[in-house]
Amino acid sequence: MHRRRWLLQLVLRALAHRKGRTVLLLAVLAMASSLATALGIVSYSMEKQVAGEVRKYGANLIIIPQSARLDVGSGGLNFGVITEPAYLQQREVEDTLARSGLKAERSFHLRGALHWKDADLMVDGVNFTDIRRLFPWWQLKGNWPATGETVVGSDLATRLKLKPGDTMELVGKAQTVRLRISGIVSSGGEEDGLLFLALPELQQALGLDGQLTLVRLMVTAGDESLKKRADALQLLLPSAKVNEVRQTARTSEGLLAKVKLLMFMVTAVVLVSAGSSVAGTMSTTVLERGKEIGLMKAMGGTRWEVMLIFCGEAAMLGFLGGLAGYLFGSAIAQFITRTVFSASAEFIPWFAGISLGVSLFLALLGSVGPMISVFKLDPVRSLRGE
Amino acid sequence: MVSAIIETSGLTRNYGDICALKPIDLIVPEGEWLSVMGHSGSGKSTLMNLVGGLDRPSNGSLRVGGEDLLALSEDGLARFRREFVGIIFQQHHLVPYLTAVENVMLAQYFHSVPDEAEARSALERVGLGHRLKNRPGELSGGEQQRVCIARAIINSPKLLLGDEPTGNLDHKSTVMVMELLKELRAEERFTVIMVTHNQEVAAWGDRTIYLDDGVLVREERMKS
Repeated sequence: MHRRRWLLQLVLRALAHRKGRTVLLLAVLAMASSLATALGIVSYSMEKQVAGEVRKYGANLIIIPQSARLDVGSGGLNFGVITEPAYLQQREVEDTLARSGLKAERSFHLRGALHWKDADLMVDGVNFTDIRRLFPWWQLKGNWPATGETVVGSDLATRLKLKPGDTMELVGKAQTVRLRISGIVSSGGEEDGLLFLALPELQQALGLDGQLTLVRLMVTAGDESLKKRADALQLLLPSAKVNEVRQTARTSEGLLAKVKLLMFMVTAVVLVSAGSSVAGTMSTTVLERGKEIGLMKAMGGTRWEVMLIFCGEAAMLGFLGGLAGYLFGSAIAQFITRTVFSASAEFIPWFAGISLGVSLFLALLGSVGPMISVFKLDPVRSLRGE
Repeated sequence: MVSAIIETSGLTRNYGDICALKPIDLIVPEGEWLSVMGHSGSGKSTLMNLVGGLDRPSNGSLRVGGEDLLALSEDGLARFRREFVGIIFQQHHLVPYLTAVENVMLAQYFHSVPDEAEARSALERVGLGHRLKNRPGELSGGEQQRVCIARAIINSPKLLLGDEPTGNLDHKSTVMVMELLKELRAEERFTVIMVTHNQEVAAWGDRTIYLDDGVLVREERMKS
């Protein structure tokens, strides 16, 4: 019989012989690794969920031009501030974003007024592909526009009795554009009162080629906080203001950080307790098996060979505990996410590796002391039962 | 002339202030069956443990099978034991969760490679062919001692050590075990050192040495 196979058989027999203690150790290891796994899966799933929620809220950073401010007054009198309209240079923003290495979804906007019939309409020039990616919850009746087409916000459409298929002739400072309405859009926000057309078309109509009034960025917050990213971008764009859309981003980040910290602390406490429990149980086992260890040494087992058998037992317990821990942990994670977060946790196979790692680490770490005893045990004294 | 398998000179073992074995000079020829007799605490087991490489002397020289045991490291001594020595204990010391055949295979594992066929054959030689799959708890004292003998001889040792191997057996089982050892010795030609305080058991040997308070007080050659 192959030596490794025999070792495995020996280890399994030894564990089966001490059913009660084996079950106890397995339960401790499975509990610790299942908790670590469950908390890991919940944390991972929540992070994804929060990221998804943040996506739903849309942009979390905005770039706007620095307004030209002019204080009006004389001596002690102050009559207020006059602000000149200001614009961002599209090329400069594009270059800066490329240089910053910031990974973010973005949309460029030029907001302006076009004259239609007897009224000025607020128009937003956008890239519709970016809009669809950044604001997936916008609801559209009709189609997204092609060249020479526009979409109208639902409130504006109701007010002006516009519907898909109608045409509009809009007069800008530089050009007049004739557009066909391809759809009515509804976001539930201020966009419902706007008219949307392709950014280059509006830039031409207003005579503002290559100029923007707003850039929206959706940065997925990673290890670095959104604030730090905003500050870094601000340094690269001194002619603009980089602002956080604070509420959403900060709340999500803060909540996630607190949940992670709580999970980490609970896991740490459980792992320490489990490690101590394993160490205590393994020490008792080694004490009880002193004669067996002495016999093995008397038969010619070197200290390392005998220790390998006991390490094998610890590793086997760790392996089985880790497997059970992964299964239980996944189930616990499902339960937690369903009952607490009203969402379902993902099935994440690679967490099995983490569960096994935690369980093996605990089993082997808890066995260090007992293994040293095995290593040092004197065969003559242990066979005498001393 | 038969060469010596064991040679000791001034062999001493102290445990703190207690001198368990006072300087002993002993030569055991290869193939001899040496019985070691004495009262409890006379140093019999200490001598056996030293000769078997289970313990280290405090003083003196000790050569077994040409090997200077004092020069061997801890793991070197373990390798010496697995290659050279088979031990039969009074308490049997069988692993309780292994079957008879697996207990024998455990000795093979530490020596080289476990071979179930060989282990079965060893048990059949000691008359336990029908008890291969029984665990120690399911065997009588005599049967357990025979498993212990099979385990001790499985690696063909040059030196068989018996630490009161019949101490826990009744007369019938004692005779059975001693006859078995005699047969095996005739076949395998190993040297036997048997610690006992039973005169009848000692009489199975070629020579008996008597220890008293750690001192070799006399020796007696048995009539064949």
